[in-house]
Amino acid sequence: MSNKKNYGMVIDTRVCVGCSACVYACKQENHVPEGYCRDWVVQETGGEYPKLTMENRSERCQHCDNAPCVTYCPTRASHYAEDGTVQVNRSLCTGCKACMAACPYDARFVHPEGFVDKCSLCQHRIEQGMETACVSICPTGSLNLVDFNNMDQKAKQLLSGKVVYRQKEHAGTEPSLHWISASNKPGA
Amino acid sequence: MLATAVNEIVSTKLNPNVVPHLHIWEWHIPLYLFLGGIAGGLLVITSIMIVLKRKFGIGPRDEGNGCPCLAVRIGSILSPTLLGIGMLFLFLDLAHPLYVWAFYTTVQPTSPMSAGSWILIAFFPLAILQAMLVNKRQLRDFNIEIVNKVIDWTENHMTMVALVNAHIGVGIGIYTGILLSFFSARPLWSSSILGMLFLVSGISAAAALMLLLAPKDEKPVYSMIDANAIWIEIMTVGLFVLGGLTGSANSHGAMMHLITGDVNLAGMSYMFWFWGIFVAAGLVVPLLLEFLEAAGVHIRFPNVAPVMVLLGGLVLRFLIVFAGQTYHTFV
Repeated sequence: MSNKKNYGMVIDTRVCVGCSACVYACKQENHVPEGYCRDWVVQETGGEYPKLTMENRSERCQHCDNAPCVTYCPTRASHYAEDGTVQVNRSLCTGCKACMAACPYDARFVHPEGFVDKCSLCQHRIEQGMETACVSICPTGSLNLVDFNNMDQKAKQLLSGKVVYRQKEHAGTEPSLHWISASNKPGA
Repeated sequence: MLATAVNEIVSTKLNPNVVPHLHIWEWHIPLYLFLGGIAGGLLVITSIMIVLKRKFGIGPRDEGNGCPCLAVRIGSILSPTLLGIGMLFLFLDLAHPLYVWAFYTTVQPTSPMSAGSWILIAFFPLAILQAMLVNKRQLRDFNIEIVNKVIDWTENHMTMVALVNAHIGVGIGIYTGILLSFFSARPLWSSSILGMLFLVSGISAAAALMLLLAPKDEKPVYSMIDANAIWIEIMTVGLFVLGGLTGSANSHGAMMHLITGDVNLAGMSYMFWFWGIFVAAGLVVPLLLEFLEAAGVHIRFPNVAPVMVLLGGLVLRFLIVFAGQTYHTFV
């Protein structure tokens, strides 16, 4: 057990139905302005007809351990929080957009009020011992909030023996979001 | 019939200026990079002119009281002026301009923007001092006490000031390219030779500007500097293109997006802007014109070549900034 938290997510794409409940729960919880989103749903279809595979998944800021947005932020507005997440301090953000150019996941946007915004992994809820808005609403249990420094039995079981990937790992960002691939055989 | 394997992604992401492609930097940034490049180039050229004096036959002519030739005097004033205007555009690009102070309450060594914001500040004191020293005869006529004192203290050290400024000028010129090239998420920008390209382009644009402003007897010097800078710039562009084409799928695709791209920029495709306007009209033709001029062939409109060089430099900044955003993110 480590006292230092390192929050991330395990997203089980095998059970994601692409309902977008996570997107709207987030918008409601975090007052995301209309026409913007901090998380979004992707449907990826691959293969050769008629043998096609499809994966639904919920995506958001990857809360990288080596985050280019933090590296390139000139004012410390983008920073690592104690709990291992990446946060934006609005009162330091000039809106120079260097972080947006730096992010290989295009997870950020300019808020109409003039600062750069993105998923905060509901830091304000985690602090109160709650799960993120998206995790709490997910009807199929696809979304899981995990402290990777202190993985509980449930998280370990979820990952064990499965094909698990992270996105654009070769960008060197050490992302904290892990996806259980839809290509896993049933019962894996 | 669905011929071969497919891989399609449908996303619900909405964010404006992020989808369908990044669109965070518009005209402000290329204009700032252009003006910053010229400012750096002007500082490099005027400083070298001051340091070299009449050595190698290209130094400024002394008009008495240590004041060098007219183009150096004007160029020294224009350098901090143009950088100031460029910084205004940079300021206007900020989504929250009132928080601009946040740049100057910290030094973030890993952030090129942080380094740049400090270099921009470091630029002004010595650049303005140099502009004062080369114009000291005119300044003394105003008889302002503080100005006179500053000139008295520093006038014997003009060579040293110019020597430092030559390096600061190179720093600014390279920085305008490095600013973009650090973003590994943007495959077109992710090339360290971009710093070199923007530096030589800035020096060549600055030489063109001095060529336009210089009196007739001083013009040949700047024409020669410009021709040399253009020649080096053509080599550097070639290396930039080759580096992209021979790189990873990301780099190759991004370079093809620029040099053969059909994305429309102000009515013309990237391909036409790159080869037709930047390479042909902005580099090759002015180089030929300046060679002819140097060879003694009379050219009816001697200002055509420098204007084309300036236009080419501006187009280069717009093309790189825009094409770097319209190409997809690093995969």
